[in-house]
Amino acid sequence: MARYAMVIDLQKCVGCQACTVACNSEWEVPVGYARTHVHYAGPAGVIPHLVAGPYVAQCNHCSHPTCVRACPTGATYQTDQGSVVVNRDLCIGCGFCVEACPYGARFLDPVRNKVDKCDFCAARVEKGLQPACVITCTAHAKFFGDLEDASSSVSQMVYEKGARRNETPAVHIGPNVYYLGRKANVDLALASFAPRPPRLAAPGRFWRDAVKPLVLAAIGATFLGQAIAFFNQLVKGEGQFDD
Amino acid sequence: MPFETLPIEPVILSAEQAEVMAQRQLKKHHVAIILLHWFNATVWLLELATGGALISSVFYRFAPGWYLEMLTSMFGSRANLLRFHIVLGVVWTTVFFVYGIFGHRTYLKMEILQREVGLDADDWRWLRVRLLRILGKSREHLPPQGIYNAGQKLFAVMIYIMIPVIMLTGMTMAFHWFGPAAIRWAIVVHFAAVGMVVSGLMVHVYMGAVFPEEKPAFFSMITGTVNELFAYRHHFKWWREVKMQEKQWEQAWEREQSGEPAAPSPPAELTAPPSPPQPSALMRALRARDYWPPYIAGAGLGLTLLATFFVMGQGLGASGGFTRYLVAILSLFAPGYTAASAYWSNYYQPGHSPLLDFLVFEIIGAAIGGLVSGWLSGRLKFTVDKGPRISRRTRYLLATGGGVLTGFGARLARGCTSGLALSGGAVLSAGAFVFMLAVFAAGFMGAYFMRRYWL
Repeated sequence: MARYAMVIDLQKCVGCQACTVACNSEWEVPVGYARTHVHYAGPAGVIPHLVAGPYVAQCNHCSHPTCVRACPTGATYQTDQGSVVVNRDLCIGCGFCVEACPYGARFLDPVRNKVDKCDFCAARVEKGLQPACVITCTAHAKFFGDLEDASSSVSQMVYEKGARRNETPAVHIGPNVYYLGRKANVDLALASFAPRPPRLAAPGRFWRDAVKPLVLAAIGATFLGQAIAFFNQLVKGEGQFDD
Repeated sequence: MPFETLPIEPVILSAEQAEVMAQRQLKKHHVAIILLHWFNATVWLLELATGGALISSVFYRFAPGWYLEMLTSMFGSRANLLRFHIVLGVVWTTVFFVYGIFGHRTYLKMEILQREVGLDADDWRWLRVRLLRILGKSREHLPPQGIYNAGQKLFAVMIYIMIPVIMLTGMTMAFHWFGPAAIRWAIVVHFAAVGMVVSGLMVHVYMGAVFPEEKPAFFSMITGTVNELFAYRHHFKWWREVKMQEKQWEQAWEREQSGEPAAPSPPAELTAPPSPPQPSALMRALRARDYWPPYIAGAGLGLTLLATFFVMGQGLGASGGFTRYLVAILSLFAPGYTAASAYWSNYYQPGHSPLLDFLVFEIIGAAIGGLVSGWLSGRLKFTVDKGPRISRRTRYLLATGGGVLTGFGARLARGCTSGLALSGGAVLSAGAFVFMLAVFAAGFMGAYFMRRYWL
């Protein structure tokens, strides 16, 4: 078992978007969309104590992902390494997961008509390579590794240098992307790009709360009715109807 | 004729009347409808089985985890499961569309729909009485019914509404029609529509397969007919229609016989003597005395090759199969030598029969197929195909010599016309094309020198 995680050092990040470009070209993401973005937080505070800086957003590969439960077909699932990936063959492009993700990490790819997002470069990692954004990062601000391996750089940064997750008291689903940096900068970045509450889209709620119970009730009632009729038939016997 | 005048309402039948009626069969379903029914039933079974396993989210799923795992491992992967579900759904939709396009005059006309699915006052009363009787709360007689009873009609109404809904929502999901918001709702509507049909389907299956009174209805979906007694007791209004029709035909026929100038002449197809059954176009083609055009045979051979690749994962072949027959004979007498020989051991390991191979059976099948084809065309006889100027003995000698050369050459080339030229050519093997060119070149040259043996 492993627990893949990423640490992003916001103090080193220069906001150059090289990661976005590397990711888009590596995975042929359609123009206008991206699996990872660099946003800018701030400036905030009062002169001369201003705080501002970049924030890198991507899929957090949460330990308790809301998107997996929302996906009807099981196209989105959690791997043994803890990353959350999409099986495009199963995806029907309904977008329930897009609504469910509190971080806005998912989008519907208009070319393939399927959902797309960061998968921690699963295909590269399988070959023993680092994710495209990590090796491209001009400032060496991104780190990828196994959190359960005590010798890995990510676990040292998380457990010893105190890298932080983007969580709020309302939304804590165990994201596995961690942020390092000056406290004021990280505070501002996480506050500016805090997760929104996860949503189950209206058809999903309707399905879960109304349609599924009603359908099961209808089938159950029919079954019960037939069981009664069948019991009557057994009691009466077939002899009566000899035509 | 058990009745002098047709009763308006069902009356108690005498024993003889019931006996006669039980023996007579009335036609109820056209064979096209029977086929469609069982095709539909099969599709529903498979689509329900795969569809149930496709919903995996804890929010919506209803099938237990082990069922999902079982279906997934049966199909290899969940993606295959989804592909199967979609492909079968498209096939199902296509078949219904073909029926709709070619049969809309028969099945989708307003008066037909009125007759087969429209519920009248008797039907609503029937539903109430039927329910009470099943529950054992009433002994009231059921009101007379048309060709379908009210329960069947009710189910049919639901099917007529739900099937297009299921098709449309299924296509929306499968082909990403109308955008993501539509897909989201399509999932829910697809599920709800299928759920409603399933709860009706349970009654339908129970009534057809288990309920004793409706057994003849079940068998009518296989034979197409019901006995008259069942029709009288369960579908009185339909029975009466059929009887009225028969009466009209009889009267028309009697008028014809007595030579009366019939006032309104009945439709021609009712009075014309039945023409002897014509063989179908397929049957006529199969029984043609002439050989088929080579172009059709070529296309047929290509399709056979395609089917062989699809089913067996390998192409056609002949010499490889014959080699295996030889190895089988050789290993009977000298198994040690066969296993040690560099060439023969390719086909023989002690303990494994060299005959367990597709090509061995393919050759048997080809022989049987040729026999059947010759028999169908009336060409079957013992004969030696030879030119007019040579004796039988020369022909045998030449054929044997040619056979030896062909066999040797084929194994040298690692394949014959079937194995190398056809199957190899189908997978664009370079050797196949070289072989084919060489065969034609050598054939042209050889034919010149051998022409006197045939002309």
